Amino acid sequence: MLGIPTKLKRTKGNNMNEKTLDLIEPELSVKVLKVTGQKSSRKRILDMGLTPGTRVDVIRRAPLGDPVEFKLKGYNLSLRKREAETVLVEVVE
Amino acid sequence: MKNNYGNKEVAFSALAGVLYALFGLVHIIEGLGIDTGLSGMLFIPGDILGGFCLVVIGAVFLIGFKEMLQGLNAGVSFVYVGILMSLIFMAVYLLIMGGNLLDSFIVPDDYEGWSVMETFRPGIYLGLLSLAGILYWRDRFSLNEVLVFREGA
Amino acid sequence: MTDKITVALTGNPNVGKTSIFNAITGSKQHVGNWPGVTVERKIGKRVHNDIEMEIVDLPGTYSLTAYSLDEIIARDFIIEEKPDIVVQVIDATNLERNMYLTTQLMELGVKLIIALNMTDLALAKGDSIDSEKMQEFLEVPVISTIGSKGNGIEGLLDAVADELHKTRVTENIFTYDSDIETRGEELEKVLNNDPYFAHYPSRWFSMKLLEGDENILKKAKESESYPEIEKILNELDADSFEAKIADQRYKTIQTMLRQVCDINTEHLSGSDMVDRVVTNKALGIPIFLSLMWAAFEITFTFATPFMNIIDIFFGWFAETATNLITIPWLSSLVGEGMIAGVGSVLIFLPNILLLFFMLSLMEDSGYMARAAFIMDKIMSKIGLHGKSFIPLVMGFGCNVPAIMATRTIEDTRDRLITILITPFMSCGARLPVYVLLAGAFFGRDAGVVIFSLYALGILVAIVSAKLMRSTILRGEDAPFIMELPSYKIPTLKGSFIHMWERGKIYLKKAGSIILIGVVGVWLLASIPAPGSGGVFASEEVYGTTNSVIGVIGQIIEPLVAPLGFDWRIAVALLFGVVAKEIVVGSMGVLYGAGENEDTLSDILAAGAMTPLAGLGLMVFTLLYAPCFACIGVIKRETGSWKWTLFQLAYGTTLAWTFAFAVYQIGSRIGMLA
Repeated sequence: MLGIPTKLKRTKGNNMNEKTLDLIEPELSVKVLKVTGQKSSRKRILDMGLTPGTRVDVIRRAPLGDPVEFKLKGYNLSLRKREAETVLVEVVE
Repeated sequence: MKNNYGNKEVAFSALAGVLYALFGLVHIIEGLGIDTGLSGMLFIPGDILGGFCLVVIGAVFLIGFKEMLQGLNAGVSFVYVGILMSLIFMAVYLLIMGGNLLDSFIVPDDYEGWSVMETFRPGIYLGLLSLAGILYWRDRFSLNEVLVFREGA
Repeated sequence: MTDKITVALTGNPNVGKTSIFNAITGSKQHVGNWPGVTVERKIGKRVHNDIEMEIVDLPGTYSLTAYSLDEIIARDFIIEEKPDIVVQVIDATNLERNMYLTTQLMELGVKLIIALNMTDLALAKGDSIDSEKMQEFLEVPVISTIGSKGNGIEGLLDAVADELHKTRVTENIFTYDSDIETRGEELEKVLNNDPYFAHYPSRWFSMKLLEGDENILKKAKESESYPEIEKILNELDADSFEAKIADQRYKTIQTMLRQVCDINTEHLSGSDMVDRVVTNKALGIPIFLSLMWAAFEITFTFATPFMNIIDIFFGWFAETATNLITIPWLSSLVGEGMIAGVGSVLIFLPNILLLFFMLSLMEDSGYMARAAFIMDKIMSKIGLHGKSFIPLVMGFGCNVPAIMATRTIEDTRDRLITILITPFMSCGARLPVYVLLAGAFFGRDAGVVIFSLYALGILVAIVSAKLMRSTILRGEDAPFIMELPSYKIPTLKGSFIHMWERGKIYLKKAGSIILIGVVGVWLLASIPAPGSGGVFASEEVYGTTNSVIGVIGQIIEPLVAPLGFDWRIAVALLFGVVAKEIVVGSMGVLYGAGENEDTLSDILAAGAMTPLAGLGLMVFTLLYAPCFACIGVIKRETGSWKWTLFQLAYGTTLAWTFAFAVYQIGSRIGMLA
């Protein structure tokens, strides 16, 4: 496939809780740490409210496993795993 | 935790679920060319795709039934979505029936020996059940323009 | 004196902007396209307090950083055309994200009015919003509205009238951290010194530069002071600024919202409950397919009587006209050319109106986004968006409304590809051709053959989509970042307006192309071939070797001979461009079977054509140039003759290649001989 954004390194040195958003199981909640990825999609993701510190609830995956639905700032958003992969998050208890 | 549904919802979902699934299956079996003997009596001619839709509605009710038996509050949402879907299909079947009736006046030659009852379907009479359901639970389908199923009502 | 002003209506998608627009303008709307693009432009008029207002409904946008064509149009209109008043419609149930756009509109320094829409839903959800306090905080008028019921519209128009004569000085409500502000001021200084930027609000422009907005950067590059700007931008960490600016806008909004409203979050909403069912792992896809079946049945089965009425009426009309006109060629022109031509335009109207009524119900209720959510995985495999699925399925009924339905796909490239591959979905009009030929040649296996043709169409569509994605329409897949709006009960009024608009567009824009095509083919079939001595439009000429079309058929015969076709098939295929089902009728006439299909079937089976050529003809009919109605909507929806002709050439080339392969390979290996 064309244009797969640079994957984040999944192993993070300092914090074991850091993961990319696509890896979070439904019904968990996370806090956004950083948005990476390509410029245009990164800006849109930020504009949609996935700014650092925002709490995001992972709601469910689509029946075929992709895209994934999230709830943040009182509304529901869906991202393909490819986009979710560019969002670095930390699981909150 | 207090449940947001009662025995009525549970019984309704079981009844509607079994009926829709069963009649849908008959549609499909007839559609595969196997005569069940039910097509004349219950207006269930062979119709694989239509039968599939009824089975899906049945499955929605039955999954709701299962979840409510397990004590899951969200199970009741399957009952309401099932009711909405069965009403949508009732409307679709009624429109097709009306369309056919209209067509039989426009091109009578194509409709020789045809009666409007040939387009009468279980999707229509089973829908009456859901019509009763929505009337009974109408306060759960909020009048505000959002489908807020009031919880614990 | 009457003032004439322009009011731009903006806002996020799914906030009820269209219902506000409908409530303000009623039926006084004009739908066209933005210059040069196929994004819809809706303009309405309303006179209020002696002020003549021209209301422009801008495409929905989440931010003033423009990503999609829709958003670039919305932004450019506000910046370049400078409307007198900008009204932002806000979904009261979703304030935080909606106000992100507000912060940017305020930075822009436009005269802003906020229409706080769907306040009834917010109330039902258990939120309380103090709109007066919000107004104090933002220093712009905030008017509560319920667009679907028309509530608050008068108040909104009063506010527009009031605001007109006020001078606004409230661009600096939103301040950022000092490092951003310092950089911003530096940039502003440069901008203010360069007359090139006089057109733009400098604060907004500098913030956009700091955010790294590519469109704005491009504009800046054309200025003389760009080196200075570049110097400032190079000194800072662009990525962190981008995130910081977005973050601080949201922080400001949160601070304000805490003071002006109380939002009920501890609550599983009705939408969440519906979603648990319709996007359920096991049930999601079956429910979607059932609803598609329902939409399909309404669009095509329920439309039958209405299509028959149109058909019968035009049949009668053509006959009456033919009988009334005594000059033979004129009566044929009017009857078989013009009236039949208008009939072939109108015959699709029931399908189009019904399909758009239902698409509108799906879109307005919020289900469309779920459908895309459910089907996206499959569609992304061929490089398309989940929303491409619905038009493709509708294509099995009729390609014409299906192509018009691609409007719901936002990304231009995805939309173009979907339009280009939709004609490969075997439509209802091609079925009679298959039934005849498969019946004549394959008897008991006819069903398998017909099924294989449908499968071939799907396969060609998939492969073509992948091919186009990797060659002529190459590029990044558009990022899939889609809101799943909360469910709403659609209003009948809204759906009717939408349906009627589509119908009008079809008649106006596609209608003329169809008509010209149909009359053109009639002329070719009626004009006697030079030297044949026939009479124009007489029965001896029409469609035979004595007509121009017959001569064309004979000229192109060598082209189709390798497919096992003779000139009669070539002529039937030319007629087929008027409407695919005509292929059968034309063959009937050309093979001397008249209108009787059984006779034609017997003649064919008796050896007029080999079964292999018959199979090739079915394949050719599936893939070659679509009908005029379809060509008309492709032109209308792509806005380009280039792409329309591309589709024709591509389809016809494929058709020829496949039919060639069928005939040649088949004859070599001695199949069906």
